[in-house]
Amino acid sequence: MPSNSALESTIDQVLERNSSEFSQSLKNSLEDAQKTLSDALPMLEEEYEKIISDGKKEADKIEKQIVGSADLEARNKSLLIVQESTEKVLEKAKEKIANMERNSEYSSLITKLLTEATSALNTSDVIVYTNSKDKDVVQSAVSNISGAELSNDPIDCMGGVKVTSKDGSMSFDNTIDARIELLKPLIRKDIAAQFNLGN
Amino acid sequence: MSNQGGVQYSKIAEIKGPLVIVDGVDNAAFDELVEIETTDGERRLGKVLEVGNGKAVVQVFEGTTGLSVSGTNAKFVGKVMEMPVSEQVLGRVFDGLGRAKDGLPEPVADSFLDINGAPMNPEQREYPKDFIQTGVSVIDGMLTLVRGQKLPIFSGSGMSHNILAAQIARQAAIIGTDDSFAVVFAAIGVQYSEAEYFKRSLEESGALKRSVLFLNLADDPAIERIITPRVALTVAEYLAYDLGMHVLVILTDMTNYAEALREISAAREEVPGRKGYPGYLYTDLSTIYERAGRLRGKKGSVTQVPILTMPSDDITHPIPDLTGYITEGQLVLGRDLFRQGVYPPINILMSLSRIMKDGIGEGSTRADHQEISNQNYDAYSRAQEVRALAGIVGKAGLTPVDLNYMNFGDEFEKKFLTQAIDENRTIEETLGLQWSCVSKLPKNELTKVKDKYVDQYYKE
Repeated sequence: MPSNSALESTIDQVLERNSSEFSQSLKNSLEDAQKTLSDALPMLEEEYEKIISDGKKEADKIEKQIVGSADLEARNKSLLIVQESTEKVLEKAKEKIANMERNSEYSSLITKLLTEATSALNTSDVIVYTNSKDKDVVQSAVSNISGAELSNDPIDCMGGVKVTSKDGSMSFDNTIDARIELLKPLIRKDIAAQFNLGN
Repeated sequence: MSNQGGVQYSKIAEIKGPLVIVDGVDNAAFDELVEIETTDGERRLGKVLEVGNGKAVVQVFEGTTGLSVSGTNAKFVGKVMEMPVSEQVLGRVFDGLGRAKDGLPEPVADSFLDINGAPMNPEQREYPKDFIQTGVSVIDGMLTLVRGQKLPIFSGSGMSHNILAAQIARQAAIIGTDDSFAVVFAAIGVQYSEAEYFKRSLEESGALKRSVLFLNLADDPAIERIITPRVALTVAEYLAYDLGMHVLVILTDMTNYAEALREISAAREEVPGRKGYPGYLYTDLSTIYERAGRLRGKKGSVTQVPILTMPSDDITHPIPDLTGYITEGQLVLGRDLFRQGVYPPINILMSLSRIMKDGIGEGSTRADHQEISNQNYDAYSRAQEVRALAGIVGKAGLTPVDLNYMNFGDEFEKKFLTQAIDENRTIEETLGLQWSCVSKLPKNELTKVKDKYVDQYYKE
């Protein structure tokens, strides 16, 4: 069958030609794909590094946030303890002062407080106020200052004196309450140091 | 100071605006702290502005609303206003007068410091140097903040200066050293929502631990604003010079401070200067700005970023004008960039960090930093010219090189300038972006950088 052999030979030729074209095209495609892949690789690596670095940044941020708020919470708790302790210590101290014996030492303290107040006001023409408990001690101190008078109206305080000029334009609060209030920040510092709760 | 503090006077001669004039005072001192007691027992703080002829003029920080001549007492405390300081102030929120505002007790104080600060001996000052990384590319790359520097931000009303301020406060850090770093943030006359934003922003980022916040709100008495920057700087100085920390102080908004100063000046009937501000505005501002710096023999530093809004965006207004004389450069926010949605809208062509050169380069940031920054300045300036030209002749009339510059301008604004509000870029990333932008230009256009850097960093 000569016609069949000619057909087969033609088919073989076509196949051969197509096959070489096909393999060439396959080769080209492979090369293209490899080139695209190799071109994309640095981009991929860059993207990969960016994702890793962003993730690390985020993790650092979250860590900072957690550690920061935990530290602050602990510090704030210790601050509240200091405050509570200060209040307690001050309460006890105030109670002790209010109930202390009005002895000679106390009398000299009153004299000192009174002198300090009149010197601050720069006049001895003053009216002196105190609580009902200290009236006698203060009266004896007032009698040593010419122009000073003890008021009959008692004031509410733990001890000490409040002095007002006779025209009422100036006054000086030298009660123990006022002095404690003035020194409160320093007292707090000492208490915090005692409990090792300050810095 | 009066010989003996604690004398209370009850003769009030006059109440005038934020001032109370007390009669019969013969023993008070300038700047002495005064406690004003109202008829219903409320206590307000003030300070002595003038003394003489048996009278004392007292400026009441919390305003004089509700005060009357009869029944008001003024107690002269015998000392200037002091701020209790210790390491415990870190992580705390205070009001404009330095009182705890976070519901916690007052911090346990190590010492009590005069809020006016001790004057720095000029001979002891050390030149500002070393880099502070803010994580904001345009600042780190082109307008670098240096430790000990005072670098203000000039903004306008409604612009994103407060977002930028909060971002700097959250992200600022010193690189390559274990030295401690702290941020003192003073909000002067800000809205409640802004104050909450600052607070929340620091809390959520974990940066509150190393920060101290002073919040004077818009509805707080204006006079309190005079004190807020001073208490903030007192804390900053303590952290820097006593505890050896590097402290960044952000003061926003200094315009509100100047307004408060004007209010007092008007009440004192002083001769007004420009726009009604007192003639001593320059001197007064310098008492704040000059508290930035480094001291010889001390480890820490105080760096200031005061923020001010320019009324009507007018840079010649007395506040930015006088601020510019005292500080070491300025960052100017541009209205056009802001309108385009660029954040942070810093107009680099109007901005400058005068001592940037001392904080960058090899050993601090990178050897090519100054040169690549100069190249970006140069190219952006050219891009602006080309844009203006394109507005007249159209894009078709431009040369290929001009078009490259236009592309550079777009790339610069989109990739380098624009940044997310929570994006913290390292200096390496920032410099990399600067190189990416200039790589839009042909190599032969890069005339500000050495060839070796072009070879190393130019992106083909």
